[in-house]
Amino acid sequence: MIWVKLAFGGFGRRFVEALAAAIVLAATSATVAGSLMVVEGARNTLGRAIRQDRPDIIEVKSRFNRALFETPRSGNLPPLTIPVYEPLIDPTELEKAAGDNQVVKRQSLFRNVVSGDSFLNIYIFGIDPDVERGLSSFSLARGRFLRAEDRAAAVIDQASAQALGVNVGGTFPVRKADGTDLQLTVVGILDGLELRGAPPRSAEAPSLRPDSTFVSSGAFVNIQTSEDIFGRESLTDALLIARSASDVPALVAKLQEAFRLEPGIFVTERYGQYQRKVRDFVLTLALFSAVSIATALLAGSFASNLLHDIYVERRRQYATLMALGFPPAMGIGPAVIFGLVLGLAAATFGGLAARIFVPRTFAMPSLMADLGPTKPTIDWVVVCSVVAIAIAAMSVGLASTMARLLREPIAATLSEASP
Amino acid sequence: MNEAFVSVRSVSKTYRRDSAPVSALREVSFEIEKGGFVRLSGPSGSGKSTLLNLVAGLDRPDQGEVLVAGIDVGRLSGSRASNYRAEKVGMVFQSYNLIPQLTAVENVLLPMIALGRANQGRARELLDLVGLADRSDHNPSQLSGGEQQRVAIARALANDPALVLADEPTGNLDDQSAQRVMELLTSAVRERGRTLLLVTHERDAAQTADKCLELRGGVVTSVRE
Repeated sequence: MIWVKLAFGGFGRRFVEALAAAIVLAATSATVAGSLMVVEGARNTLGRAIRQDRPDIIEVKSRFNRALFETPRSGNLPPLTIPVYEPLIDPTELEKAAGDNQVVKRQSLFRNVVSGDSFLNIYIFGIDPDVERGLSSFSLARGRFLRAEDRAAAVIDQASAQALGVNVGGTFPVRKADGTDLQLTVVGILDGLELRGAPPRSAEAPSLRPDSTFVSSGAFVNIQTSEDIFGRESLTDALLIARSASDVPALVAKLQEAFRLEPGIFVTERYGQYQRKVRDFVLTLALFSAVSIATALLAGSFASNLLHDIYVERRRQYATLMALGFPPAMGIGPAVIFGLVLGLAAATFGGLAARIFVPRTFAMPSLMADLGPTKPTIDWVVVCSVVAIAIAAMSVGLASTMARLLREPIAATLSEASP
Repeated sequence: MNEAFVSVRSVSKTYRRDSAPVSALREVSFEIEKGGFVRLSGPSGSGKSTLLNLVAGLDRPDQGEVLVAGIDVGRLSGSRASNYRAEKVGMVFQSYNLIPQLTAVENVLLPMIALGRANQGRARELLDLVGLADRSDHNPSQLSGGEQQRVAIARALANDPALVLADEPTGNLDDQSAQRVMELLTSAVRERGRTLLLVTHERDAAQTADKCLELRGGVVTSVRE
């Protein structure tokens, strides 16, 4: 009880100043927390955009050709126009141009799988299972995902599996380039997938997402198996992962130079668009950060000044405690307790006010709007910033009193006339 | 001859006032025996309070040394000086220096809290000793000047210190209160066999003191045993 009285009792007319300091600090905390919540929300939005857009990824794709077709093995079937990427990309040339950046090879095939007296169109993707899993999203319903060492194994989506009438452990035939059939064994069934840089959907095929304009289903095999089916090593498409997003423009230039004689190969990147978004984002963040910093500095210094006056008036009291034998840390303890409680209470009220009154969603201007609305977020950065402002205001207010008590003789402070 | 409990040896202290040096003490030396009572007098600005502050460890001498019970007070670090004040010294100030938001008994408890030995029963006993048992739960603002100084005396005795330092304890009191406070202070300290260094202008104190020192211009000009 004595400590509570020492810290909070006997303010007299200074109570109004303490209250004013608390209100100013609470208002500062609310403004700063609100601004930082928007900043944090925008950072999350940008983080999401980076994860989704992956500006560090360059897509290299062959020409998309509708002229290729394959004839079903049997049955009374109409002729088909089957769109596929042409396998124009020489993997050796690609790896040479990529240097030490990671190359993710792909082969996209389109095959008719004959089942009884009907057939099924199905997209077959030759992928590097280990790398692709980190780039695209695969959700397994049953079984397991592909492994690099698998041979003639496939992971197939639920819609295709249903259409083919196969389950985990079952097989289905795929026509190879040499005219023979390869029996693919199903090792896993997918109930969801998002293939990064998937080819456009141009032929009827079973699909997990019927409305999608891109291929949202198919059979996935590893690249060795797809080479067996294709009968060649050349790629239909590939992804290049740059070591850093800023390397992308130089890498694109190198790829364009490497494939300048092959007009059927297209190099696309998202880095340019991403950069424009980032520039917009940085400007928006700068605005909110500037609001936060200016508010924190102006209001914080005002609150510090009020606290300074309060501390100066109580300085003699702290010196008396030290003269009575309180160690220095205990002597200024009531001052620190008072400042911390006042500052943290103000920060808590301000933070809660920001949490209540900041809009749930915040529409960012211009290009950032492409990323969807920003959701203001309260996290440790916001909490720590608001608490830091309160502690900083208290520390600045207490600094001169503490310096006087710890550096000057106690006798000098005791001999001060009360202000 | 008894061993010196307080030994002030060639102590000098200079302050700066408006950037001009002001010599508060010059080569001051004296000793107080254990259980002794020394009265220190002199005109305003003669260095009495400075000398008391040096003995209390509230300030450091520029030259010389202040030894109390063998401890070189001027060389103590912040926390050791605090411990010295809490254990060895009881201070009575002219302006009482009571904490206004605490009651009388809480003020008396403060030195005990500093040593981690808060004992409310003892605090009340001390207030009873100074005749304020019925005022122990009053705040300083509800007490007269004399009563406040009696609370300060009780506070100075809280940890049963070996040395009591009193800086013009009756300076702000009327004659009647001053006489009572002085009697109380000297009797309480003497009954306990403690050492008392008293800065005062009261002539009556000279009769009970073992030694009277007079300071003028920072120099001891007169010593009367």
